Amino acid sequence: MQAAAMDPAEEPPSMLWGLDPVFSAFARLYIRDILQMTESIQVPGVYFYNLHPIYKVDVLGTVVYKRERDDFFCYGVDDGTGVINCLCWKSDLLKEAEDPSQAGGKHSDGAQAGFNPAAELKKLRQMQQKSCHLEIGELLRVRGSVKTSRQQREIKASTYYKVNDPVMAAQIVWMMEVPQLYRQCYDKPFQLKADGAGNSVSSLSKATNIIKDFLKEKCVTRFRPYDVQDLLQPLICSQPQTASADQEPVAGPSACQQLRQLLKEALQVLHDEGVVYRRVKSQEEVYHVTAQDKDLLMAIKDIIREDSKREKFAEKGCHVLHILSAVRQRHSLNVSRAALELVLKSLECNSDIISTSDSHYTVF
Amino acid sequence: MMLPSAAVFHFPWEINSGKVQEGGSVRTFGRLVCYEPEESRATLSAQHAAKEHRVVVHTLFVEPFNPIIGAQYIVLGELENYDGIGAMVRARVLNCVDGVNVALLQKAIVEQRSFFRERECKQGDVAQSADAT
Repeated sequence: MQAAAMDPAEEPPSMLWGLDPVFSAFARLYIRDILQMTESIQVPGVYFYNLHPIYKVDVLGTVVYKRERDDFFCYGVDDGTGVINCLCWKSDLLKEAEDPSQAGGKHSDGAQAGFNPAAELKKLRQMQQKSCHLEIGELLRVRGSVKTSRQQREIKASTYYKVNDPVMAAQIVWMMEVPQLYRQCYDKPFQLKADGAGNSVSSLSKATNIIKDFLKEKCVTRFRPYDVQDLLQPLICSQPQTASADQEPVAGPSACQQLRQLLKEALQVLHDEGVVYRRVKSQEEVYHVTAQDKDLLMAIKDIIREDSKREKFAEKGCHVLHILSAVRQRHSLNVSRAALELVLKSLECNSDIISTSDSHYTVF
Repeated sequence: MMLPSAAVFHFPWEINSGKVQEGGSVRTFGRLVCYEPEESRATLSAQHAAKEHRVVVHTLFVEPFNPIIGAQYIVLGELENYDGIGAMVRARVLNCVDGVNVALLQKAIVEQRSFFRERECKQGDVAQSADAT
């Protein structure tokens, strides 16, 4: 239940409403909650349940009040938690169907001979009329926007129909489902994910981006971890200040260790993405930057050019796994598939090679 | 325009227990065991904990209706107290729902109640912690 008064400062800015999936859905709220939601100060017609912006709802309940006008019905709907007025406009189709229907008698006589569209249409209209015309005690499903008129909250129906529920199956399913929806969506506060994932992840992605930018900017062809270590220093320095304020002597990893750990993880990410690879696995860690490795580029281009001429690959071109094993034989055992795909992509962008399927390449 | 108040689900064995105040709106269910048209009075019955519980329904507002003795009915209305009878539901709606899965219906009512109880508890906690700060 929403507290009656909400601090206007608590209202989330309207810019962000659309990011909440509940906003664009017909929320299946209890009528009690629909009646008690606070209306937005920024945009009248939008309401807040637990800070979720809501403007359209979906209810199922028993008709306990009814009034008919020329253009619309007013149904009071009771779901066992509250009663709300639903404004249900009659469609033009419906109004036509209400016109004197004696004329239809002649049509249906003729219809016995075969399919009579006019009579069928009339039947459809009668069906629709029936589903829109409810008596007290019948079950109504309404979807529509929430409005407040003359201090009374009501639902302006966009869809409404009578639900045939002779053994209460629909009502029971609804009663079982709605609490689940509340637990899974409406009662959970909506949070943008930005800061929820934790600090370490975001600093890792920051670290990889810093290294990537550096490699690109300086056109680095190869490097040792030591060369880029200092770039990540700012990420480490800024972190412990927050933690060390209240608990000073922690026997955790030193800043230097943290830095090395972060660098190791960042290089692993870059390696997995294929941005860098180690041509030779030796004592000295040297990383080659895939995109800048002219030798690798040439090797791959040569393989495709030569092998596409072979009868075996003439039709479809070379499969990516074939290229990979050839590159590993000729160039370096440590070229990863991710690195190969990165090079293939850039070769294709330059029209050096052509893909014939999502995993076959050839040259003309 | 006057809307009636919400008819909250109650089990038949709660109707006579004094849980609901006079004038309160309720909805409940039971098997129709007896109908006296001259008195506009119907009696619903339900089994609970090896006991039979009866709910007397005033049917004036929903007449004429087709009484099927032995069938399950659902009733919406206001609780009134009468001398000699006790609590009686003045029906606004009386629907035959014979064939309803009563066990499942009871489960759904319990589910809904426990949800509301859970939520009120949580709000109580929030209010308390807000007071404390």
